[in-house]
Amino acid sequence: MRYACLRVGRRYAFLELVMDYLYFPGCTLYTKAKNFDQTARNCSLLLGFELKELKNWTCCGATFPLATDNIMALLPPSRILATAREEGTVLTTLCAVCFNVIKRTNRLIQGDGEKRDKINNFIEKNYQGDLQILHYLEILKQDIGFPQLREKVKKPLEGLLAAPYYGCMLLRPFKEMGFDDKEKPTLFEEFLEALGAKAIEFPYKIECCGSFQSVGSPDVATECAYKILGSAIQNGAEAMVSTCPMCTFNIDHKQSDIKQKHLDFKPIPVFYFTQLLGIAMGLDYRTLGFEQNAVDPLPLLSEKGFL
Amino acid sequence: MRIAIKREEIKLETLTSVGKVASSFLEEAKKKSGENLGLCYQCLKCTAGCPTAPYMDIRPNNIIRMIQMGMKKEVLGSSAIWFCVYCQTCGTRCPNEIHIGVLMDALREMAMEEGIPAKEKNIHLFHEAFIQSVRRGGRAHEVTMLMEYILKSKDLMKDSLLPGVKLFLKGKFPLLPSFIKGRGEIKKIFEKCTKK
Repeated sequence: MRYACLRVGRRYAFLELVMDYLYFPGCTLYTKAKNFDQTARNCSLLLGFELKELKNWTCCGATFPLATDNIMALLPPSRILATAREEGTVLTTLCAVCFNVIKRTNRLIQGDGEKRDKINNFIEKNYQGDLQILHYLEILKQDIGFPQLREKVKKPLEGLLAAPYYGCMLLRPFKEMGFDDKEKPTLFEEFLEALGAKAIEFPYKIECCGSFQSVGSPDVATECAYKILGSAIQNGAEAMVSTCPMCTFNIDHKQSDIKQKHLDFKPIPVFYFTQLLGIAMGLDYRTLGFEQNAVDPLPLLSEKGFL
Repeated sequence: MRIAIKREEIKLETLTSVGKVASSFLEEAKKKSGENLGLCYQCLKCTAGCPTAPYMDIRPNNIIRMIQMGMKKEVLGSSAIWFCVYCQTCGTRCPNEIHIGVLMDALREMAMEEGIPAKEKNIHLFHEAFIQSVRRGGRAHEVTMLMEYILKSKDLMKDSLLPGVKLFLKGKFPLLPSFIKGRGEIKKIFEKCTKK
């Protein structure tokens, strides 16, 4: 039996660990989304499993190569998959982009013998595509279960009107990701409702945030983010919840730019879903990395009485 | 209706006056993207859902039409192919299952192979800076990546530096990259790929 020690509220708690999941963090979770990584690790301990970090992982390549003859971009995710297979059978990620790239590469290696041989030849490994790739939310749904999660919640987020923002990468391409419905996904809403919050329905929940255009042509990304945030606010959201560091950059950090352009815009806090999970599970709010959110969520949280 | 037909005629005329209709471009794009571009019947679902279409010089549905017409130079030189962020909304909604995101990536590659300068120069530079960053350390590292991007795009101060500084102040930008152990492996993979 293994135990972990974690500070919950004012005390330290010993937690029994039932399971391990091999975990691929991805580059941004070490830099831009440190709070995402840390809260996910702590919450998993509270739920009885540990995220075991993959050794010597590299960047996943950040985009799944699309042109049919682009083998090079398939190599980084393939290398990750091959090394992960040496350590276990299930691989989990948090970042929606990494999840997309890794899951699709895995599917490709499973289904395309010719490419599989080519890839194995390049990375000098023998990987057959027999890993299971799960997103953290999928673990919560399938392995823990939302009804069980609801029972474990110590501080229900009652009265919080949160807008779940899926973005693109979790859902599309629909056939390959198989995450949820392509136009009307509900998994994220179920998660928020298990925490006791009220999930806001808004039409832009699966729209693109503008992605990497925030570097090359920032105006494009700012407009995309404005549409998404505006739609959520119009439907009554007090906060946004995101699963992706890229989306979070665009809808959280870009809010100051949006405000300069659209004077009537009122900033709202953007959470990683693990941060909300952390509050609901009773973790001390000082360990949830709120100081790294661009729009300070503490006023809203204290107004709702969650601190 | 009559006007629409007339416009078509004009296009065909201008094409034939230059030379024969370059159907080889359609074949090339089909082969490289693996998408059946002949199926498009211009329902415009792709353009309606595209988040970056308002900023493109040629809309996604027109890109397909122009490929069918063999307008290689116009398509590969457009800003549209660089504005696509591959959110896959178009592909998900297309009744003929044409994934335009995939096509756009293929077109970007074709443009680079042909040596056609990217109309959205900065986006291309950013892609390059990203790859270089992974090449150096095995993982993407924002500070060195953005530095390289800023220097190459000569976009000092204006748009790209400020968000970086803000993130640094939030403690989100470690200045030193985290180098992984298997860097030799990464180097080897890069070398193998460039050799080919």
